[in-house]
Amino acid sequence: MSLLSLLIFLPLPGAILILLLPQSRQVAYKYIALLVSLLQLILSGFLYAWFNPASAGISKQGLYQFVEQLPWIRLDLGSLGKLEIDYMVGIDGLSLPFLFLTALVMTVAVIASWNMNKSLKGYFSLLLLLNIAVMGVFSALDFFLFYVFYELMLLPLYFLIGIWGGVRREYAAIKFFLYTLFGSVFMLLVIIGLYFSVTNPATGAHSFNMLYMMDAGNFAPGALFSPGTAQSIFGIPARLLGFIVLFVAFAIKVPIVPLHTWLPDAHVEAPTPVSIILAGILLKVGGYGILRVCFSIFPDAALQSAWWLGLIGVISILYGAMNALAQKDLKRLIAYSSISHMGFVLLGMASMTTEGIGGAMYQMISHGFLSTMLFFLVGVLYDRVHDRYIYNFRGLANVMPGYTVYTAIAFFASLGLPGFSAFIAEAFSLIGAFRSESVNGLLPRWMAMAGSLGILLSAAYFLWTLQRMFFGQTRLKGGDEWVKQLTPISPRETIVLVPMLVFALLLGLMPGLVFEKINASLLAIVDLVTK
Amino acid sequence: MEQLQHHNFSILAALLAAGMPLLSFCWSALRGKQQKSGYTAIMAIAISMICSIYLFSRYWNKEELNEQVTWFRIGDHSFMAGILLNNLSVLMLVLISSIALLVHIYSTAYMKGDPGIHRYWMYLSLFCAAMLGLVMADNLLLMYMCWELVGFASYLLIGFWFTKESAVQANKKAFIINRIGDLGFLTGIALIYAQFGTLDIKPLFSNEPLWSVSEVVSGNWLGAGHQIPAVWLTVAGLAFFVGAIAKSAQFPLHTWLPDAMEGPTSVSSLIHAATMVAAGVFLLARVFPLFNETVLTIMAIIGSFTALMAATIALTQHDLKKILAFSTISQLGFMISAVGIGIPGIAMFHLVTHAIFKCLLFLAAGVVIHEMQHANQKSQPGSDPQDIRQMGGLKRYMPITTTVAIVGAMALSGLPLTSGYLSKDALLISAFEWADLRFGPTIIIPISLLISSVLTSFYIARLIIKVFFGKQRIYPGNPEKLDIREAFPAMLIPMIILGLAALFPFFSANPLVFEHSWLLEGFDRPETLERMNLYHTMVPAAVNLLGISVIYIAWRWYAENTYPLKTSGFLYRFSYFQWYIDRLQTDYLVRPVMLFSAACASFDRKVLDGFINVVKNAGLWLARLAAWVDQYIVDGLVNGIAGLAFWLGNVLRRSQNGRVQYYMLSMFIIVLMVWLFNFIVHA
Repeated sequence: MSLLSLLIFLPLPGAILILLLPQSRQVAYKYIALLVSLLQLILSGFLYAWFNPASAGISKQGLYQFVEQLPWIRLDLGSLGKLEIDYMVGIDGLSLPFLFLTALVMTVAVIASWNMNKSLKGYFSLLLLLNIAVMGVFSALDFFLFYVFYELMLLPLYFLIGIWGGVRREYAAIKFFLYTLFGSVFMLLVIIGLYFSVTNPATGAHSFNMLYMMDAGNFAPGALFSPGTAQSIFGIPARLLGFIVLFVAFAIKVPIVPLHTWLPDAHVEAPTPVSIILAGILLKVGGYGILRVCFSIFPDAALQSAWWLGLIGVISILYGAMNALAQKDLKRLIAYSSISHMGFVLLGMASMTTEGIGGAMYQMISHGFLSTMLFFLVGVLYDRVHDRYIYNFRGLANVMPGYTVYTAIAFFASLGLPGFSAFIAEAFSLIGAFRSESVNGLLPRWMAMAGSLGILLSAAYFLWTLQRMFFGQTRLKGGDEWVKQLTPISPRETIVLVPMLVFALLLGLMPGLVFEKINASLLAIVDLVTK
Repeated sequence: MEQLQHHNFSILAALLAAGMPLLSFCWSALRGKQQKSGYTAIMAIAISMICSIYLFSRYWNKEELNEQVTWFRIGDHSFMAGILLNNLSVLMLVLISSIALLVHIYSTAYMKGDPGIHRYWMYLSLFCAAMLGLVMADNLLLMYMCWELVGFASYLLIGFWFTKESAVQANKKAFIINRIGDLGFLTGIALIYAQFGTLDIKPLFSNEPLWSVSEVVSGNWLGAGHQIPAVWLTVAGLAFFVGAIAKSAQFPLHTWLPDAMEGPTSVSSLIHAATMVAAGVFLLARVFPLFNETVLTIMAIIGSFTALMAATIALTQHDLKKILAFSTISQLGFMISAVGIGIPGIAMFHLVTHAIFKCLLFLAAGVVIHEMQHANQKSQPGSDPQDIRQMGGLKRYMPITTTVAIVGAMALSGLPLTSGYLSKDALLISAFEWADLRFGPTIIIPISLLISSVLTSFYIARLIIKVFFGKQRIYPGNPEKLDIREAFPAMLIPMIILGLAALFPFFSANPLVFEHSWLLEGFDRPETLERMNLYHTMVPAAVNLLGISVIYIAWRWYAENTYPLKTSGFLYRFSYFQWYIDRLQTDYLVRPVMLFSAACASFDRKVLDGFINVVKNAGLWLARLAAWVDQYIVDGLVNGIAGLAFWLGNVLRRSQNGRVQYYMLSMFIIVLMVWLFNFIVHA
């Protein structure tokens, strides 16, 4: 068993143990979950350190690291040939940072669940199941395996929102579920189409191997998704349609405007730890999928659609920010700000430049830390007074000075203050978008200029919120009752906030920590897409 | 070897200069509330100043120092971080660190006893670190980072008294308006990077660049290996200019600066008068080779317009700090128009002299406000300590403050023997020379600058006279009860130092000819302007004659109380309400954005989510339809068949009742039917 498989399946024994332990020992559940997450965190840290930055991955199997390939399903289908499904995992620069991010966010989520008291057995085992699925998605290189993990994420999340959520949890859960399922059902069709178009050059059998799908030579001539094929479905070239379907599936996760309306509801209804996981990791699955699957397997269609992707990115940035400005619920505001920030990811990717895609990757990582911190901070407030309505708070700085400092830092980091990771991310997404017209002529410069307005708007909504909730004379809806309940940040909360803050700061000052590891992959993917 | 040692020593000094305040910031941040005394911050900035002076002595008018390390790489592009020490940066280093030191010392007395003092020192150190970093940064990305950090520090300090609603409104406004400028700066950076693949200042903008950053051949802007339409050169220039007008509070982005006066006066003096607001001018000087004729012209127009506009506003304000704020905006307008005219060296000269005398004026204002607050608490609580209508006759209580304030005011209005005389004359004369070469309407620019300069003399004279001279307005009949005293030594000494520095010997041995100033010799004078002797005598004469006459008028009006004008006229109100620009921005910019955002939110809820709900409802409806079909049609059919069989069975069962008559009857009916059938068929 390779280290990578160990990382993926580490939560499995934990989950089984939790299921086996009797309810009377339920105090142990969170410790088991924490232990598993910490082990994963250490392991992913080692993977990060041992990762060889020179080896790019992307389309070349030999350049992936920590690869493990085992035959999983082999069926002779007679005239349809042999069915070959492998358990194949491996990582390159695109997936490496997300493994670490996942481990970290999962740890934070477990700590944030510390005071949870409703059916703990189910909760923590679902959390660990989700952990396996996410780790698996980021490492799978076989498309079938990828799809299995991808769908596996859905199940625990549905229950986590639907059982442990807020008042309208069932509505939010089913909305989330159906939205995501809508995308992935069609994805399955494309996967099957790809399967029948691609052959394993060694055995001649059809293959689900994603890396084979990235090489034009492995497509059977005349097959549905062969590069250069004239095949079309409903009058749309087959490859373009395949790209669009996969893109929509992942874009729902990102999410893009107008496929985003599940997100505010899911966030508002989900309990704090699940919000953290949703914003911290699950949105990144979308961005990762676009790079790993859409861009790499359909580079021609990606180039063709770049303009539209950029436009969608710009619209998401501006529309998300505009909505955030109008929100009166703090958690909803942050949910919309996530949409806006993820728009930069799309804009950066669409530029197809190393700066742009690098900025997009960086934005995903940075948003992973910052959104975790933001949702956690909302949770801190909500835990104490069970209210998030912005106008019910005023002058919190006098009541909770420590909390105010953390929130102010998180807000400023999120609005892209230099010195924090989001600045590098947004600046380079935009620089990439600007450069695109000179380098490859894909995105017009006005898109970058329009996108940069998002930075202005993010300052507006974050600072306005600071002013409304934290500054001024103290006036709380709950009066003195609330003042008593609004206790200072506890050590447990500090333990979560400080590392996040340190990471955001570290990545803002030393972007090399990430870029050193992903540069080779960035160059390779840009090369693959733009040839 | 010795050379190398000097070199390393200089780098160390430069790192210390920006690093010490940064360390002080980190230390205060970690110590939190325990860090009440400002000694750490003062020590740090003092070390910065010593290092800066050392660097100045080594690099002023000598070979420049550029040292960089690789910061990070994206793809195959390296981004460097480093320091660039040339005339521009070492001059700013000395200016910033010494003014900052003086303001730090002043603050020990001014901020004494404030419950949030630990935050004050922390923010101040952060500001100094970022500002010193800004002037030393050798590439645009690093510079941009420091640029935003000074804005951040300014945000924190404007909102220092965060329970005051007006203060937190003001700091939000300042940050957001500065963000507009940041977008411009970032756009400029992105364009430069897209064009040349590097952001290092030295290769881009030094005298012998690898390429000329603004080279245009047949309508195309030449880059590294490619070219794009020349209009983008203008866009890039304008982008940097937008950055500068936000930070340097130029029309139409100047509205944040008057509001920023909500911060402590010492902060206004350091950040919002002497250093940070000048960063815009500094930026323009740094990237000067980029600007083409169009951008320069726009710059000159905006700068001179702002200078005039702000000067007219300053004429009628009642708030002591607001007058000085508008004066700062106006003076920054002078500098911006100087850059636009193509004389960044003179802009820098005016920046330095202005920093000194405006800092001085603010510190003096701080003393006055401090004492007025004190006096008001006893006599008329709740009244505004910054309202100059409440002041008057203060000179007998604070003679030294009065004296240094007068020196500052003289420098501001450009009277002889002061530093302001040198720099303002340099600026005006060059503006006239510039317009002379161009004919036509360009002459408006120097003339409007001249008018602004005369207005400056008037408003500052009004301020000085209303505050320090004339009749005393608190306890007019009973001066003994008035508890107003001269400032503490910790406040006086910095002011006296600044007062001395605002005089001519500090800048030039010859008090009347600006060209002999050592500072100007550090910058190239553009060859395009030729010396026209006429202007060199006419302009100073005109400025001083007009200036002294308006000062005399101000004396008559305000000291001798013969003010003849109505305060209800349109022009007065136009000036008093600051040309209504703030109100226009709120009504026609902020409000529409807020409305639009509300519209977006309702669109999101009603249309997008509404659509999803329609889909959901359609799905549910379809499902119900299917259920109905299933229940009543599909299942109904099956049940119907079963029912039919059951019914038939029931019917047929009746026939088997065992009575012969029935059997006979049935047989008879069947025979009858067969017969009837045959009859009908064969008929």
